[in-house]
Order: sequence, then C-alpha cells, then structure tokens
Amino acid sequence: MDFRQLQSANKRKSGELLFGMGLLVGLVAWALLTYFGKTGIGVVPFAVGIALISVWGSYWASDKIVMTMTGAKIIQESDNKQLYGLVSEICIASGLPMPKVAIVEDSAPNAFATGRNPEHSVIAFTTGILSAMDREELQGVTAHELAHVANRDTLVSAIAATTAGAIAILTDFLMRIMIFGGGGRRDSNDSNQNPIAIVVSIVVLILAPIAALLLRLAISRKREALADVTAVEFTRNPAGLRRALEVLQKDSTVVHQRSTAVAHIWIESPLDSSATSKLFSTHPPLEERIATLRAMESGS
Amino acid sequence: MNSIITGVIAIAILAFIGIVPRNKLIRLNVSVDEAWAQIEVQLKRRSDLIPNLVETVKGYAAHESKTFQAIVDARAKSTSATTVADVAAADGEMSKALRGLLAVTENYPDLKASSNFLALQEELSSTENKVSFARQFYNDNVRGLNTAIKTFPTNMFVNAAKVKERPFYEIDDPQDRKAPQVKF
Repeated sequence: MDFRQLQSANKRKSGELLFGMGLLVGLVAWALLTYFGKTGIGVVPFAVGIALISVWGSYWASDKIVMTMTGAKIIQESDNKQLYGLVSEICIASGLPMPKVAIVEDSAPNAFATGRNPEHSVIAFTTGILSAMDREELQGVTAHELAHVANRDTLVSAIAATTAGAIAILTDFLMRIMIFGGGGRRDSNDSNQNPIAIVVSIVVLILAPIAALLLRLAISRKREALADVTAVEFTRNPAGLRRALEVLQKDSTVVHQRSTAVAHIWIESPLDSSATSKLFSTHPPLEERIATLRAMESGS
Repeated sequence: MNSIITGVIAIAILAFIGIVPRNKLIRLNVSVDEAWAQIEVQLKRRSDLIPNLVETVKGYAAHESKTFQAIVDARAKSTSATTVADVAAADGEMSKALRGLLAVTENYPDLKASSNFLALQEELSSTENKVSFARQFYNDNVRGLNTAIKTFPTNMFVNAAKVKERPFYEIDDPQDRKAPQVKF
C-alpha cells in the first residue's frame, strides 16, 4: 500500500475519534441538563478549567517534564556523531528544525520524542536501543519519533487528555451530588422530562468516563500507526523501521521506570503488553505494525 | 449609504479570496527555494569531505590514480554547475565516483581498519543520506508547487504571484532510481 493513502486514512480516523470525543462531551452536557436542569451547567466551566490547567501546564513544559521523569540527558554533537547525523538526516528529509538529542541510561531498547512544537522538541534514545540496532534500523526509529513531532502528537494527546479529564471530573462531581445530595434533582420545575430520559442520562454519566478513556487510547493507537506511515514518507524505506520493530519484538526487557504517566510517548509500550488487552493499550500490537510496514515494502 | 457599505464589503471579500491563493503560491515557491538551498548546503558538505577522504585513501592505495582522477573531475564539474539539471548531473557523477572509491577500499584491509577512515566513512554515508533526503524534500516541494500552479483555484493567480513551474531534481544514476531493496 502507498504511504500517502495510509497517511490520509490514519489522519481521517484520528480526526473521527477526536470528533467522537466532542460528541461525548455533548452527550454528557445533555445528560447533565436532563438530570439537573439549568443549574447543573454551572459545574461545566469548573471541570473544564481544572482539566485545562492540569493538562496544558504539562503540555507547555512537556519537554522538560518528560526529560525529568525519564532521566534523559541532552547530548552534544561531539558526544555521538553518528546519532546526531541520523537525526539531522531525518530533519532534512522532513523539513523539521533540529531537535535536542538526548540519551536515557537504560538497557531496554526504546525511544521517544516530545515537545509542544517542532522548535521545542526533544528526541531521546535509550542506551539499549543504540547498542541493539544498526544504522538503518535506528534511522527508522528516528523517523518514527520525528514523525510524532511533525504530526504534532503532543498537541493531539493533550487535547484528548483534556477532554477525557474534563469528562472524568464532571461525571465524578455529578455522581457525588447524586449520591450525597440525596439523589435530589435540584430544580425539577424546569426539567420535567420523561423518566426514560432521566434513566438514559444516568447511564451516560456512569459510562462517559470509561468511554472517554477508551477513545483517548484509540486516538493514541491511531497516532502511533500514523507515525509509522509518516516515517516511511521521510525515509522511503519501510524495511528499516520494520526491522527495528522486529528487534523490539524479540527483546523481552522493558524500560525500568514503568510509569504509566509517560507510557504513551515511547516507540514501544514500556508496560507489559500481555497484561493488558488491545482495547486498553496506548500502542497497536507490534505484529500489526510490522505487517503494515511489510505491506508497504511489497507495494512500493 | 447601505449600497456603499455593501460595495466595500464585497471588494474586501474579493480581495481576500484573491490574496489567499496568491499567498499560497508564493509560500510554496519559497519552500522550493529553501529546499534547493538545502541541496546546495549538503552538496557543499560532501565536496568539503572529499580532499580529506582522498588523502586518507591515498596513504594506503596510492596507485589507484584513475579513481582519484574521477573524483577530482566530478568535484571540478560540481563547482561550476548552476542550473538544476547541471547540478543534478554533477551530483550523479560525484555519487558514482565516490562509490567507485569505496569499492576500491574493499581491497585494502589496513585502510578499512584505520579509525580515521572509519570516521570518514560514517561521515560520508551520513552526508550521502543527507544529499538524497534533500533531493527528495526538494522534489516533494516542487511537486506541491507545480500541482498548485496547474489546479483550481490557485492556477488563476499564477501571474499575480509571479511564480512558474520548477524543474524536478532528476539524477541520472541507475543506482538511485532502483526501488529500495527488500531484505528478508
């Protein structure tokens, strides 16, 4: 398959998922209005405000925060000429500005990129990935990471996290009012809906946070698939990234700090994949990614 | 009074409709210029590597004069080239000559083991990658510009934006045209 078709398909799908997020917010607002009447709407600005402040602070300083959490150290060109060369090659192929290059002291092979925009981006490699892969494979990994930068995935995941966060805060708040407020509907005089609507709105409020989480994870998986395809646009060499993913597949060591907070930024999920089902993971399964790249190799 | 306001708004809308595609064309044209500048930067980098590389190889394989001459000739040609076609032709010749040189080094194990040569070889292969990525990026940008020049609505504003179709960077080297090798 051609990378251009795959790219637009992935972009469309993640766009649809973000749209689904928007619909979910609308649905929660409707449930709110149905159950609590107009006074319930007053809670929305608070929930959105809290979510915005918590997520966008970390979005704005994403490069610094992630660097601290993962223990990545910025290197200079003289420290690793080959790695620096690899990164600047992909910058030329993509037209991106040169990011900061960092190393994480960890024997597990992995890599990540972050930053609020291409000008503030950081690309980091573990010492494990540098020793496990040859030049062509590392080029594929670099292209995948810089594809995240080019596709503005830090921004996309920040938007997804904000919406999911707002929904979680909102529903949590409302469930508390329902339980501790004696189940009372505050102003029943202006919300005299039929009982079915009331029941549906309760179900929506209960299920919304889970749905938001699943949507957020689905967006993350789509962006990973998109980054693989964009990487091929940069290198025009699906085999490099495919072989890199095969190296990751064979490797059983996982990154030491298994914080779920930064799990989504690595090229391969650092969490134990067998413990979680596909629905709850931030990355598509490696076999699926390898198969897609293989299809691109034979198609071009 | 009302008709004057309507007229002013209509003119403003028309001006806006004209400005957006015109600016798009100008922006695409600038990005082609930038991509071209990147090719020149990378070709210059490669050119600057050559004296050092030739000296190093000469130290081990002094009698391979034909190979060295091909590189010197290609380098001389590349400095005088200005048009896209000429630069591309000189670039192709240089790539071929450098591959010839690297093929020669296969026969000299001492040379291949020298750390100086290994560093040069890494730098050369990185530069070769940069040159080919710069070509690819340039051609993608040319494709974007040429498509905009031919398609509606931007095709209406080609004269206003003072842009014209740009040539692709076509390198006459069979090795570069080959589809990427698939290794299993």
